[in-house]
Amino acid sequence: MVTYSKIEFLAACASRHVNDRENVFGGTGLPLLAALLAKETHAANANLISEAGFIDAKPRNVPLSVADSRYYYRSSAAIGLIETLGFILQAGRIDVGFLGAAQIDEYGNLNTTYIGDYDSPKVRLPGSGGGNDIASSAKRLIIMMTHDKRKFVKELDHRTSPGHLEGPGSREKWSLVGGGPEVVITDMCQMDFDPETLRIRLASVHPGYSVQDVLDNVMFDLIVPDDVPVTEEPTQHQIDIMHRLDPNGIYLSKGGG
Amino acid sequence: MVPDGADLFWGGFGYQRAPIAFSHELVRQKKRNLTVHTCGSEVDLEIMAGAGVTTRFEIAFVAIEALGLANNMRRRVAEGKVEIEDYSNLAMAMRFLGGALNVPFMPIRSLMGTDMVEKSRYREKKVEVMDCPFTGEKICLVPSLQPDFSIVHVQRVDQTGNAQIDGIVGEDLEGSRCGKKLIVLAEELIDEEEIRTRPDQTKIPAMYVDHVVILPYVAHPMECHDYYDYDLEHLQMFHKMTRTEEGWQEYLENYILGVENHYAYLELVGWEHLHSLRARKPWGY
Repeated sequence: MVTYSKIEFLAACASRHVNDRENVFGGTGLPLLAALLAKETHAANANLISEAGFIDAKPRNVPLSVADSRYYYRSSAAIGLIETLGFILQAGRIDVGFLGAAQIDEYGNLNTTYIGDYDSPKVRLPGSGGGNDIASSAKRLIIMMTHDKRKFVKELDHRTSPGHLEGPGSREKWSLVGGGPEVVITDMCQMDFDPETLRIRLASVHPGYSVQDVLDNVMFDLIVPDDVPVTEEPTQHQIDIMHRLDPNGIYLSKGGG
Repeated sequence: MVPDGADLFWGGFGYQRAPIAFSHELVRQKKRNLTVHTCGSEVDLEIMAGAGVTTRFEIAFVAIEALGLANNMRRRVAEGKVEIEDYSNLAMAMRFLGGALNVPFMPIRSLMGTDMVEKSRYREKKVEVMDCPFTGEKICLVPSLQPDFSIVHVQRVDQTGNAQIDGIVGEDLEGSRCGKKLIVLAEELIDEEEIRTRPDQTKIPAMYVDHVVILPYVAHPMECHDYYDYDLEHLQMFHKMTRTEEGWQEYLENYILGVENHYAYLELVGWEHLHSLRARKPWGY
């Protein structure tokens, strides 16, 4: 019996969506941990890129910032933003990008900028950063969030980054380079997108949670297929690697994504 | 040198090469109504927003990344004292590139289909989505920037202003060339002959540079590649103190207004402590 925290579960789930030899935008936090874990297990040749300008990174300690010098040592190139977000991402060379968000709607559109009304916002969040660029142009987008009813909303307070917008045909209308969100991973379940409607669909629930738990924690109509399997648990090997990558528990000790 | 109401390109990216010392000095000189343009900056933006130096920001990102939300910015936005015009990182980098190239706009494939196009604070035209005249595809135009000053922090500079950057450049190549005047802050003054032994490291040739300031630990508590690491203890203290207005005012008084200049700030932080942050080879942090 492997024991694990919610955060470790999330990171292990996310790491399975990175394939070997893919170009991956890592960022910081859980996505970075997931990408590093993938490189240590099934995707040794994944090319980890940080938008600040690091290419093919193999950090020995987890960076706290996309520009952290921890990314520099053992990366194969250190350039700049136009390189990573322009020549690499906008040119269609990123296979997988990861994003978190404060709110998501049923088409996977994301809010990372404001809670409340735009004209008198209650809470200013970080903003897009490279998020809008990644959501616009990465071939596949993996979204990671903590599961909370207030986050899975019918209508976003602010649409920062494009998911499948208004559904089929809408990304094409704006000639967006990337394919849009593919998976949403929370501490409760994994979701994908119904190919017909491009709306969020339940894919698997994590051990200890039921379909009803998930339904109780979304504010839109979640598509639930007849058969919902239980999500694969992390292995002891994966847990050990995560602890080695983040010995001070900077990310692993956090409650949220 | 920077007058009230000026607009600035602000260099550094994330934790790297943040011109913190310059933001302290703007606060001490009680500058007002500045506009700051950058991709993603953190503690420096918190200082300028918190102290009332900067009232407008055109940025993509503000937070202390792994440590959490930008508390000062959050309060000032809620109070209506700060206005943020939101763009993405690529959009801002391309706006600096456009300014550096002396063309009025640049086309990008981001922002479309979102509120970044629909909503704006104070700019009459924030972005413009159009049909490409050549291919018919939708394309998003972002306005170029040529601010009054570019503020860039680098590792080394020579007497003539040739500036060398180690590690990533972020958006500082474009940013250093888009402003009407460029102020370079350098950790170290080196001889021109040394510059000439490694000209590939000169990311900003002297011809662009108007003013040079030589100071150690310009980025503290952030990092400067090959020179010093971030000061996690100080960063965590900063983030904790800014959770309340009282806490921020205490930090402002102790570490910024209460010291005469950057050397007095470093004295307060402590040279022994600063020495412990010095970068180690071969890691650069």
